[in-house]
Amino acid sequence: MSKPSDLIQGTLDLLVLKILALEPLHGWALSQRLKQISGDVLQVSDGSLYPALHKLEQQGWIHAEWRPTENNRRAKFYSLTRLGRRYLEKEAANWERSSTAISGVLRLTEV
Amino acid sequence: MWIENWLYTLPLRLRSLIRRERLDADLDEELRDHIDRQIEENLARGMSKEQARLAALRTFGNLVSLRGQTHETWSGAWLEQIGQNFRYAIRSARRAPLLSAMAILALALGIGLDTGVFTMLNAMFLRAPTLVDPASFVQLCPRYSGWFTGADQNSAFTTEDFDAIRSHSHALNEVAAQQQYAAFVEEGNKYITTLLATCNYFHVLGIDRPLMGRFFASEECKRSNRAQVAVLSEPLWKHQFGADPRIVGKTIHLNGVPVAVIGVAPSDAANYLLGGVFVPYTLEPQLNRAQDLLASPDTPWLSMIGRLRAGFTRDDARAELMAVMNRQDRAYVERKVSAFNRKTTLAITNGSFIENPNVHNLVLGLMVLMLGPLALILLLACSNVATLFLSRTLARRGEIAIRLAMGVSRSRLAGMLLTESLLTVFIGGTLSMVLAYRVPLLIMNTMAAGQANFVVLLHPDWRVFGYLAILMAAATILSSLMPIRAAWKLDLLTALKGREGAVTVRSRTTSGLIATQIALGFVLVCAAVLFGRIPGLIRSMNPGFEIHQTLAVPVDVNTSGNNRAKAEAFYQALEAKLLATPGVQSMAYASVQPFNQPSPEEIRLPRQAKGTGQPATVDDVSSSFFSAFGIRVLRGRVFLPGEVGSTGTGPVAVVSQAFANQFWPGGDPLGKTIVMPDDHHLTVVGIVADTRSERFGVLDGPRVYTLRSASALGGNLYVRFLGGAKPLETAVRDAVKSLDPTQTIAPQTIWESLEDQADGMTSLAHIILVMTSIALLMAVAGVYGVLSFAVNQRTREFGIKMVLGASRAVVFRSVLLRAIKSIAIGLMCGLAIAEPAMLLFNRLLTRSPFPLHRFDATVFGASAVLLTAVSLIAMYLPAIRAMRTDPIQVLRTE
Repeated sequence: MSKPSDLIQGTLDLLVLKILALEPLHGWALSQRLKQISGDVLQVSDGSLYPALHKLEQQGWIHAEWRPTENNRRAKFYSLTRLGRRYLEKEAANWERSSTAISGVLRLTEV
Repeated sequence: MWIENWLYTLPLRLRSLIRRERLDADLDEELRDHIDRQIEENLARGMSKEQARLAALRTFGNLVSLRGQTHETWSGAWLEQIGQNFRYAIRSARRAPLLSAMAILALALGIGLDTGVFTMLNAMFLRAPTLVDPASFVQLCPRYSGWFTGADQNSAFTTEDFDAIRSHSHALNEVAAQQQYAAFVEEGNKYITTLLATCNYFHVLGIDRPLMGRFFASEECKRSNRAQVAVLSEPLWKHQFGADPRIVGKTIHLNGVPVAVIGVAPSDAANYLLGGVFVPYTLEPQLNRAQDLLASPDTPWLSMIGRLRAGFTRDDARAELMAVMNRQDRAYVERKVSAFNRKTTLAITNGSFIENPNVHNLVLGLMVLMLGPLALILLLACSNVATLFLSRTLARRGEIAIRLAMGVSRSRLAGMLLTESLLTVFIGGTLSMVLAYRVPLLIMNTMAAGQANFVVLLHPDWRVFGYLAILMAAATILSSLMPIRAAWKLDLLTALKGREGAVTVRSRTTSGLIATQIALGFVLVCAAVLFGRIPGLIRSMNPGFEIHQTLAVPVDVNTSGNNRAKAEAFYQALEAKLLATPGVQSMAYASVQPFNQPSPEEIRLPRQAKGTGQPATVDDVSSSFFSAFGIRVLRGRVFLPGEVGSTGTGPVAVVSQAFANQFWPGGDPLGKTIVMPDDHHLTVVGIVADTRSERFGVLDGPRVYTLRSASALGGNLYVRFLGGAKPLETAVRDAVKSLDPTQTIAPQTIWESLEDQADGMTSLAHIILVMTSIALLMAVAGVYGVLSFAVNQRTREFGIKMVLGASRAVVFRSVLLRAIKSIAIGLMCGLAIAEPAMLLFNRLLTRSPFPLHRFDATVFGASAVLLTAVSLIAMYLPAIRAMRTDPIQVLRTE
């Protein structure tokens, strides 16, 4: 298994926040969604999602809550907080800016 | 934003701190839920049950490691880790209680001795000598330049300086002065330190409540008054006066001067009081009949302490007092009392010994000398504990390997091992406090058993606790380094397979440990041998003159101006009486006392300029000196009775062999001329044998004997006698007392005063011996521990060797040889430490009569032999164990 590049790994937080901004999800669903969206680019084990989730929760960006699901089960659902939304907007803008700059530079060198 | 964030997450943080188990259960459920859902998904894809489970686990990743990582994101994770580490440490300590107890005991001893002595040194040297408002307490330390020797001189104040400072200072609201003086209480030949002090002395030190009676009243220090009163310190009162409850109002005699006891100073301040008896400083002329310092405007004799007025700093005081002293300097130079062009600079200190420029280096050296060996003992303890921990770590290597395999990070593992050391050190350190309190008192009681005017008060302050903390931190790190290294380097695969042979500790580590312990032990044993030898040395030496049959007759006579006629009559009568005493053969005067270090003077040859001569001791003796002391004449003659003295016109001198060799190597000194410091020319008429009168067992340097002027008074009087010493001592004392009943010093043979010195050294040697025994025990236990550990490690190797045909003797020898090599290395390293230490010690003791050679082969040799013997005994058992290895047993476990 090749190691995911540090750049992508560092954006895991951002991806998680973005996905949760759309709807509250529990861990497994979130991991499925991540795989779906990012394809094979983000090669992380399912489990590594949890340290990230718990860190985001401790930072106050997301909120966790046990909710009943199908078949009399329950799961821990994560949703974005007000603070998290604000943080996501800021970080997304940052990402936008820097990725534009970087791709601009890369295009330059290819000419 | 930040505050909002913080407020929002606060409940969460608190929850994660307090409801840890709940969070854990939550996390478990969450992860299980994830895996269950993944299994369902996999089943839906058509996998078998078992396949689905395994696939789910595989995609999930390392469960233990991930749970750990998640834990670390919770706030207070570090706290939890520390808690876990401690629980782990306690568990593993409980699993090996004997080993833990040994480690704790070793550390408690090491830390306790060290802290105890530091507490004592702190109380004696580092603290300001007052408990009341130390910030305002100051000591004034003058330094004179322009002294005729060219070197600057740290000294004291003259009475005039004291008066000037007292009356002109605004920055100091109180100034006290004091001077130590050795005086005899009642009769005897043991000096009691007497403090001549101003009447506000106790007040300035912050001691305002006497144990009983009262302190001095200010009018008792009026110059015209000369009140004959005294205050006793509590230890002296208890020791010398049997804690007499009615002591106040009684009269005691100090150097024969009657003084009324007016009070007793409490001992809780006694370590700040520099004496056992306190009298007003105006009594100086009565106590010290030789010199009236109080009335002398030019002799510095008083030390000064004071209190800063509120709002003034030490710098203010310094500036102001420098101005005062400059005026004093001008007056001094104008008076032209000496060629000394006095120029004073002042240092204002907090009153502690260490800040006093006069003794700073000495105190520093003493502290290094006392704490250095103790640091070595602590190091020994640490290396013992390191060995114990190392063996424990390696015994547990299976457990550690499993931890690592399960995903515990190596740094986390290091943290766990460090915590184990910390726990041990912490318990040891706490236990050591008990020792730290006992040690100083034990030491002082042994040292000053006869004197008892020294009680150290222990007020542990930030320095003591800081020192303890540093020691404990150092001990933790030192004792955990090696186990951590061993755990760090653990090869996971071999450890998991249980192939012990591949992971034995490198032999470098074990021999390094042995060498360290031997080196440290060697240094300490050297110190013990050195000191242990001194009392014996003193008793057994041959000084080159008679000491058993020579009696010192101490008399204290005022020979100054108006008392001269009386003094002359006294001496004449005394000489006549002594010569008439049965048993007395002869009588002599000398200016130099045996076993005191006289300061050498510059002796020149006739054409040498001042400053180019060589140092020699000058002893001004009466003509009968050589016969009375039994000093052999080698060539020429000694002084003739009636020959005119050196200060007159008759210019003769007798020199020692060393002097002759130094000044005229190979030449004939007889008839040659030497020039004394006062420019007198003397002709050498005789050469006498060298004596060992300055340092015990060491030949004296160059020495010139000059003839004492017939009209000279005072000096040290000696009597050579036949027969027993005791009856003669009584007879001589009676003779002195019949002439002057105020004379109180009992006569003693030179031998008896040497015995006293030897006794003093014996108690010091005992203390050092006890400490060294502890150190030696630790070193031996350490060597034993390391070696048995190494032998255990190599059991497999021995077994295989034996199977391949090695005899038991070969195995035995291989163990012993390797150990002996380590011992040799250790001894070399020890020598490398001991030699510079000895040099430093030597430099400190240049003014004492104890002989120390630069390289003392006897000391080093004896220490090496002792240490080697003891460690060979320690090595014997492990080596025997190695020899008894059962090859079958070893191969069975293979």
